Amino acid sequence: MTSEVKDIDIVQYDDDIVKKFAIATLIWGFVGMLVGIIVAIQLANWRFNFGLPWITFGRLRPLHTNAAIFAFAGNAIFAGIYHSSQRLLKTRLFSDALSNIHFWGWQLIIVSAALTLPFGFTVGKEYAELELPIKIAIAVIWVVFGVNFFGTIAKRREQHLYVAIWFYIATVITVAVLHIVNSVNIPVSILKSYPVYAGLQDGLVQWWYGHNAVAFFLTTPFLGLMYYYIPKAANRPVYSYRLSIVHFWSLVFIYIWAGPHHLLNTALPNWAQTLGMIFSLMLWAPSWGGMINGLLTLRGCWDKVRTDPILKFLAAAVTFYGMSTFEGPLLSIKSVNSLAHYTDWIIAHVHGGTLGWNGFMISGMLYYLVPRLWNTKLYSVKMANFHFWTGTLGIAIYMLSMWTAGITQGLMWRAVDASGHLVYPDFVETVMRIVPLYYVRAVGGTLYLVGYVVMMFNLFKTMANAPATQRSETVRAKPLTASFGEVAAEGGHRSIEGLPAIFTTLVVIAVLVASIISIVPTLMSPAYSDGMPAIRPYSALEIAGRDIYVREGCYLCHSQQIRTLPFDVLRYGPASTPEESMYDHPFQWGSKRIGPDLARVGKKYPDVWHYRHMMDPRTVTPNSIMPTYGWLEKSALDFDIIPKKLGVMKIVGVPYSDYQIQNGAVDAHHEAEQLAARLVEQGAPKGLEDKEIIALIAYLQALGQMSNKPAATTN
Amino acid sequence: MENKEKLLDHDYDGIKELDNPLPGWWLATFYGAIVFAAIYFFYYHIGNGPGPKEELAKGLAEFETMSAVGGSGKGIDVDKLNAFFHDSGRIKDGGAVFQLRCASCHGVNAEGNIGPNLTDKFWIHGDGSLAAIAKVVTEGVGDKGMPPWGAILKPDELYSVVAYVKTLKGSNPANGKAPQGNEVKD
Ligand code: HEC
Ligand code: HEC
Repeated sequence: MTSEVKDIDIVQYDDDIVKKFAIATLIWGFVGMLVGIIVAIQLANWRFNFGLPWITFGRLRPLHTNAAIFAFAGNAIFAGIYHSSQRLLKTRLFSDALSNIHFWGWQLIIVSAALTLPFGFTVGKEYAELELPIKIAIAVIWVVFGVNFFGTIAKRREQHLYVAIWFYIATVITVAVLHIVNSVNIPVSILKSYPVYAGLQDGLVQWWYGHNAVAFFLTTPFLGLMYYYIPKAANRPVYSYRLSIVHFWSLVFIYIWAGPHHLLNTALPNWAQTLGMIFSLMLWAPSWGGMINGLLTLRGCWDKVRTDPILKFLAAAVTFYGMSTFEGPLLSIKSVNSLAHYTDWIIAHVHGGTLGWNGFMISGMLYYLVPRLWNTKLYSVKMANFHFWTGTLGIAIYMLSMWTAGITQGLMWRAVDASGHLVYPDFVETVMRIVPLYYVRAVGGTLYLVGYVVMMFNLFKTMANAPATQRSETVRAKPLTASFGEVAAEGGHRSIEGLPAIFTTLVVIAVLVASIISIVPTLMSPAYSDGMPAIRPYSALEIAGRDIYVREGCYLCHSQQIRTLPFDVLRYGPASTPEESMYDHPFQWGSKRIGPDLARVGKKYPDVWHYRHMMDPRTVTPNSIMPTYGWLEKSALDFDIIPKKLGVMKIVGVPYSDYQIQNGAVDAHHEAEQLAARLVEQGAPKGLEDKEIIALIAYLQALGQMSNKPAATTN
Repeated sequence: MENKEKLLDHDYDGIKELDNPLPGWWLATFYGAIVFAAIYFFYYHIGNGPGPKEELAKGLAEFETMSAVGGSGKGIDVDKLNAFFHDSGRIKDGGAVFQLRCASCHGVNAEGNIGPNLTDKFWIHGDGSLAAIAKVVTEGVGDKGMPPWGAILKPDELYSVVAYVKTLKGSNPANGKAPQGNEVKD
């Protein structure tokens, strides 16, 4: 590929791989968003769950989030990184073979996600739902990507690394660390595993991961793309090199600390919550540094922004980035969070970022890439403009409806009348109030998807118009000649830009230092400090029920964490304690209350209430939007695997005796028969003793009942 | 304006960079956030700012005083119950509360379903007097799945629904659930 002419190399880039990733982006984006609209409609009207297990809300929502993040944004990142890095480093990618393994491996991972999540194979941790074999595949493919990327840096013909590459380096390194640390699971069977962390420790690790997945999967790579495509498309110099340096390092260092802002007012130690809050506030300026540099690069060419669809999308994306990164710190303030957490305000926030920042960056990038890669003109500028306006309108409708829904419901949850009673003690009343907004949101999402489909059509048409013979772009570039000493002598930041190994090491240090200080103390500490707490582990049947709870994705609608907030305590009972989830692998604290908190639902209702409620929630709670779970009454419970489950639980630290493990199946049968007999007495049909519903009811009735200590109201 | 700005000699695939300083207002927000963070941390974690437990206790205590002032109190006011029992308007209100809150478990006509039949002479708790019904409705039955309504219903709603339940005795609805508890002779 590379032939030497004197001391000038002729370099042919690999654009085929970029094309492949671009097409994959277009397709998976459609799938991810379509599933998003389905789950949006399911919340507006429960009938759209169709009573079918594999398309019920709790199973489809993970498919939506995983597809949007890892399939849509993921493929887009790879397209953009591979395209821009070759040009910024003046070299072909390190290895064509690795590029292709990366591409096909990633698509295989996506397909296996689509084939497991709807069937209930899930770890039960948000954005980390995929089961162990797929997690391992992700790690392997990510390493392939890393080797290919750093290999490309190693054979570069540009001494210094441009700011886009800095952001790519941070991405490659940090995502690997996050993914691996959050994936330490012990398998029960090929598609079922339990995390080694429990309860609040699992929560802390999960949100350190979850938050930084947003940071290093949806932010840093996109900032890198911004730094390449905005100046290229606008043909303007980047506003401030010094700002690039300061905001890059502050962003990379500060982001990592902010994870606990997902766990404010919970049982997490207060100092960790405070770190999460104050680092989120400090993150505001570093984030805005990126926005400023992006928008001010466009100074003097706003007329072009008005006419060129590429710039329109890129400029709007950066503006949405600015909005989201202002809203994020705001939401991290404990008192604001007490209103917004568990509500749709958070959903509004997320979609401002994903639809506005990520979606529009990707669209702008694709409008830039496709005509250039396929050596032709964009099929229709009009259609691109139509896409822009329907997309923007869609986001506006989405966000306004979810802001309103979130704030309305948040205020209803905390409303207390003059006599100290909740004004809306019935949870479902607060749901009914916002159901109309769920319809509005679905309209907003649909508009966005309509615009997106128009882009797909436009770009596939563009590709179809391409000349028959296609060649990747070729350039001439000089090989590197400077010695280490020469580069080091440049001094300051400039020299580390020329020395990628040192640059990367510094990124690793920044990320690890922040991670270690913010999560290790909690992992090491005997978090359950008042000695041996009086908490019993789950019984054999309850463990089986808990796995059904995880499988059905109940945690996506129900929290199990009563916050240290008076109105939470008034509604749900004493605030949750760390002990209460000490045997929870995975933790199920949840992040959204589409339904009420379940931390203390045990014994709140008679067994038969749960039976009726699970078969059809509306028989006991009129107007409920919870799906029906009729299949739980029909499918047989797998008793035989219970000893295996208890055994793995023991490995991860739950104190089961060998006797309990061996007798797991027998014990579970025994418990199930007793419960089934009670149910028949209360009016449920006979023959439930070997069905899944029995285990689920046993689990629900245990929630909040595991402590032998009398619960004090003020905890 | 751009003419005055210094262009660095960087060139990456045609991309140039300007040497503009960090915007002052931007730096101010950055430093401001850092100073705020430090003060916040010191106040709450090194100084003696209130922790979440204290704040929660304070908030709950406030609710307690409100409910004392608001009059629901702890004790049951039997005179008020009697007055409600003889007030057809209140009984009607009580019927509405019953349909909304109780029918899902006790049946639309209180014939019994998940919860016991409330129209027969048999009572698990107490003797079917206004005071006894009020007690079980206010406190609930922890392990049996009868919710404690004292914290949920407003005092007037609670008194009305209790009065309403008391009127049901002998209404003999269709599909009545078999008696539970002890028979209470008139
Ligand atoms: C689409 C969101 C959604 C999903 C998924 C969902 N629920 Fe619900 N759930 C609700 C809503 C809304 C309510 C409140 C209305 C009602 O009682 O049905 C509720 C109520 C409940 C209640 C009653 C809580 C109380 O204190 O009154 C229980 C128990 C419950 N759900 C269990 C489950 C279980 C178990 C699953 C998984 C198998 C599940 N839910 C899945 C939305 C959901
Ligand atoms: C979640 C289901 C449920 C709801 C809702 C419910 N109850 Fe009950 N109720 C029960 C159960 C179960 C019992 C039986 C408790 C026991 O076995 O000790 C009961 C018992 C009672 C009793 C005592 C009956 C006896 O025989 O001693 C009264 C009175 C009563 N309920 C009234 C009400 C009223 C009034 C409401 C509405 C404000 C209500 N219940 C709502 C489930 C419920």
